[in-house]
Amino acid sequence: MDLATQPRVLMAAERQSRASPMLIGGGLIIVVLVTVAVLAPWLAPYDPRDPLSGAPLERPSAAHLLGTNDSGQDIASQLIWGSRTSLLIAVEAATAVVIVGGLIGMVTGLVGGWVDSVMMRLVDVVLALPGLPTILLLAALLGPGQHTVVAVLGLFGWPMLARIVRSQTLTLRQRGFVVSARGFGGAPLYLVRRHLVPALGPALVTGFVSVAGVAILVEAGLAFLGLADPTVVSWGAVLNRALSYPGLYYSQLWTWWVLPAGLAITFAVMGFTFVGVSLEPSFNPRAEASR
Amino acid sequence: MTSLLDVQDLRVSYGDVAALRGVSLSLGRGECLAVAGESGSGKSTLAMSLAGLVRPPQASGRILLHGEDILRVTSERLQALRWSTVAVALQSAAFNPVATVGAQIAEPLRVRAGLSGRQAKKRAGELAVDVLLEPALLDRHPHQLSGGERRRALLAMALSLEPELVVLDEPTAGLDPATGRALMDHVRQLAQERGFALLLMSHDLVDVARLAERILLLYAGEIMEAGAADLVAGEPAHPYTWALVNAQPVMSSTKDLRPIRGLPPDPRAVPSGCPYHPRCTQAEDICRDQRPRLLQSRNRQVLCHFGGLKTLLSASDVEKSFSRRGHRVRALRGVSLVVREGESVGIIGPSGSGKSTLARILTGHLAPDTGEVVLEGSTVSASWRRQPRMTRRRIQLIMQDPWDALSPRLGVADLVSEPWVIEGNSSDDERRTQLAELLQSVGLPSEGGFLQARTDQLSGGQLQRVALARALAADPKLLVADEPTSMLDASEQARMLVVLRDRQVEMGLGLVLISHDIAVVRKVTDRIIVLEAGLVVEEGPANLVSTSPRSPTAQRLVAEAPTLSTGLVASS
Repeated sequence: MDLATQPRVLMAAERQSRASPMLIGGGLIIVVLVTVAVLAPWLAPYDPRDPLSGAPLERPSAAHLLGTNDSGQDIASQLIWGSRTSLLIAVEAATAVVIVGGLIGMVTGLVGGWVDSVMMRLVDVVLALPGLPTILLLAALLGPGQHTVVAVLGLFGWPMLARIVRSQTLTLRQRGFVVSARGFGGAPLYLVRRHLVPALGPALVTGFVSVAGVAILVEAGLAFLGLADPTVVSWGAVLNRALSYPGLYYSQLWTWWVLPAGLAITFAVMGFTFVGVSLEPSFNPRAEASR
Repeated sequence: MTSLLDVQDLRVSYGDVAALRGVSLSLGRGECLAVAGESGSGKSTLAMSLAGLVRPPQASGRILLHGEDILRVTSERLQALRWSTVAVALQSAAFNPVATVGAQIAEPLRVRAGLSGRQAKKRAGELAVDVLLEPALLDRHPHQLSGGERRRALLAMALSLEPELVVLDEPTAGLDPATGRALMDHVRQLAQERGFALLLMSHDLVDVARLAERILLLYAGEIMEAGAADLVAGEPAHPYTWALVNAQPVMSSTKDLRPIRGLPPDPRAVPSGCPYHPRCTQAEDICRDQRPRLLQSRNRQVLCHFGGLKTLLSASDVEKSFSRRGHRVRALRGVSLVVREGESVGIIGPSGSGKSTLARILTGHLAPDTGEVVLEGSTVSASWRRQPRMTRRRIQLIMQDPWDALSPRLGVADLVSEPWVIEGNSSDDERRTQLAELLQSVGLPSEGGFLQARTDQLSGGQLQRVALARALAADPKLLVADEPTSMLDASEQARMLVVLRDRQVEMGLGLVLISHDIAVVRKVTDRIIVLEAGLVVEEGPANLVSTSPRSPTAQRLVAEAPTLSTGLVASS
């Protein structure tokens, strides 16, 4: 009865997104990253794999903005093309996590009962596994390759999202419009499609962005450790190569070979994290799921 | 004991009009039986057959009076029986316009009983007193009497030879209710004193239920229901009896009148199978294809394939507890209830009495701890399997808070069409037409921007009507409405209740109305269940619970209900 008198207008006002500096900054980074990745063939002056772009270990110049590596490949071109790898893996892994984690979270929250108990125990088990060591182990076992990274991230990324989505679904399923749709004979997947996905949209987007950030970091890490496909151009691979060069720190070589790659990774992760963190309040269960 | 009158499988047809189609009844000495039915049901034909005015070949079957078949005796014998053994006062009986009424009453006394003229005249005067007719009126001619006076004169004539059976066709037609009632009470008393049997034909089921021991209800020349009067009129079993009682304005009911859907049957083309099936809300294919037989059901005889009104919903011993901060709260403690075809049941109780919990359990949105809810033979459960999901469609819940019940992300058209979308077997065009009809029926605009409007653009009243429309879109057999009119103005509330009543008439929709406002509930429901702290503390007909509540809970709710005080206050 109190619900009836409660002014609904307030809620609408609350929904207006607050464009924080964090969101703008993070968004800008992502936009730049996507632009670079899309325009890589036109932006990159050289083929990143071509060892004959220049002489080995050239200093930065007009021809080679960030110099060349020990086999004469253009580092700037490698970073530009590397953004593609990073983004692609980020998007694939995030998509996998959102679909798997979102679906499991929604269905278990909705259906409840033994399905819920079993799935939540599974979530506990996966979350209890020590993350990085297991990822490394799996990557080593499954062999190098981009799909390994996506699979590994998908495998470890879904439980966290499933848990968040489930807890919000538990609230949502008490809502009248979900109860009504159930009363009209709606099956679980109908409710997911028609009512839960729209209502959980912000949570799913935030989940997507957060996973994407983590995916970039993990991909770089694996490549850095040499567990990625060596033929693929990526930021991690650049670092791996640089750090395995014996004389790296004897000169200023690291300032154009290591630093730009590290900064690229840092900024990309930061961009996704900023967006993720600033989106979070807008789907805060207290503010959003009650509407 | 052999019965006085024994009618066996009486069939009468006039050409292609079948007036009686197999009527059997028996009547003992001194008994009072009422034959009720709308005009055209065959009452008058039955009376005429008993008077020997309808004979073979029009009539077949047997009419045994003391074991003697009236349909087959000679006309002389019939003459002898008439008036002295069986007296029939027909509705259309005509007096001789040129003789005084007194002379006409005295005539059989002279001719048949052999009284002298003076004795006959004296006796006629006594008879006039018996039937509450001013003796002075006997000297008048028929056209000088009012209709009611002629009726009473006819009755005096019927009683003149002290017959064993008196058949009265519409005895109180044309009389004001008070006179009619006094007359019938008097006749009933005479019957008891003098030991003659009474057979009353009337269109007024409720009126004759007061007088007769047994009632027999005719429809299209067939007996629909027969049994003890208070049982048949008080707790009708046949859908027709139920509908007839609901259409009758009576002081003992506070509910609005409900018409019977459809039209009475054309006697030239009586429907196949059960004659009532085109108007019956619970009819199935079998009702059209097969003639039902008059069978014993619920302590009376009922002509129905299903033994009378179906039970739509039955909940038995429903218990539910919640744990709140460590300790258990028993929300429902063994609640049972039954809702029949077309019936409205009100559930009232103070806040926190378990009303809404019960609503959610009845509609399968919450599983009870123990107990069972059965809808049309299938268990209602909260399961996700296909069968329970389809069962849930048949019992719709209208929730208290329409803002919560309607998704803020969908427009009106999508909201109301949702049940059809889920069902998934109608085309977009069909849905558009259905949608327009449905919205109109609940008094909402059916075109233009309204169809796309979202919940934050609508008023509370509009939202509740949208919620009602979409519940009806699922084509439910039963509606559980939890305070459905809480947001509405009185006029809007009345309109919504009328929509619900129409659905009950047309579809036999069962209704469970949950409210704390007994004033609203008693206008809509047949029975009221009073809930207090999860227990049923009172259950009874709506008028009884609302006028003379027994439980303290109901008494309090009645005391709190709005009342207009006029008249008494103004005059004092």
